[in-house]
Amino acid sequence: MPADRTRRAVLVATAVSLPLLAVSGCKGVGALAAPPSPAPDVAVLRSAIAAEEVMIARYDAVMTRSASLAEGLRPLRAEHRQHLAQLRSRLIVPPGSAAAPPSPSALSPSGPASHGQVPAGQASHGQASHGQAPHGQAAHGQVPAGPVPAGPGSVPSGAAAAIPFLQAAERAAAATLLHQLAAVSPSLAQLMASVAASEATHVAALTAAGGTGQA
Amino acid sequence: MTGTTAQATAAAKVSALQAALRAENAAVYGYGVVGAHLTGTALAAATSDWIAHQVARDSLEAMLRSSGSRPVAAAVAYRLPHPVHTPAAAMLLAVTLEDKVAAAYLGLVALPGAAIRELGARAVIAAAIRAASWRGKTVAFPGFAAGALSPASR
Repeated sequence: MPADRTRRAVLVATAVSLPLLAVSGCKGVGALAAPPSPAPDVAVLRSAIAAEEVMIARYDAVMTRSASLAEGLRPLRAEHRQHLAQLRSRLIVPPGSAAAPPSPSALSPSGPASHGQVPAGQASHGQASHGQAPHGQAAHGQVPAGPVPAGPGSVPSGAAAAIPFLQAAERAAAATLLHQLAAVSPSLAQLMASVAASEATHVAALTAAGGTGQA
Repeated sequence: MTGTTAQATAAAKVSALQAALRAENAAVYGYGVVGAHLTGTALAAATSDWIAHQVARDSLEAMLRSSGSRPVAAAVAYRLPHPVHTPAAAMLLAVTLEDKVAAAYLGLVALPGAAIRELGARAVIAAAIRAASWRGKTVAFPGFAAGALSPASR
């Protein structure tokens, strides 16, 4: 039994983000008064919400068309649903405000090329070393050049093609969120960074899901 | 921006960087424990992650020094959140270390400034990827304590 219980445990004490969580938790109340500057958050939130909706639709389509993948993809889709729920809960538009309607163009991650290395940590990490499937297509950590097609209708029909399709979508979504961090409030920036991180982890998880699904 | 505001902003940045550094210091120590209980590819992964945290620590220290601050020193030893005598416990510790690192870097994401936010976010992503690898599964909100965001539909 260690006797050094007086030694403060840094390992146990990382509560850095908690005050900011508290801030975000107060947002609903704060919205009763006029929010200081809702416009950037609202616009970014709407595009992030739309992006999550499209992502979920893509998973739905793939899971419908490729039953062998459904089991492996279900937990990932569930996380996207959590993203969506959390993002929606942040969308507080004061009545009468002239917030812009959701823009369809917000869906297309048009300019992530220069930030395309989002999942780069992916490649540098121990790949299959923790039992996850290797991910050759992620080895260079590059986001595909073009924007991911917006509609779920463009989901490829085959299970083999569906995994790279979803991986490209996850990378592009994460890159888009990173691009928008500077424009939003601190608490929303934290949520978006966390969502982007979750999406980045989906890339390797999709490789694993594809491997089991096609086995 | 007034001078006072600028000072407060600078202080917040130093504070967040120091918090991230504390988490990295803990991770560097912790991965030493993790690696001691692993073999083979898991040990290789732990070593790789250990090095990644050393690099991140050095980077944070350099950032703090360049802003005129003295980086916090690592502790000689850290109390582990749970006993680590088995490979499974070691991997669980790695998950905990990464979760805390991710949480600390979320503090940078809350600062004003595009560059520091992106730096923080990329570090959150890297930690989340390592955590997912050790955990064997992904989570919806890396860097946030489990349940902190109270998923509306679970």
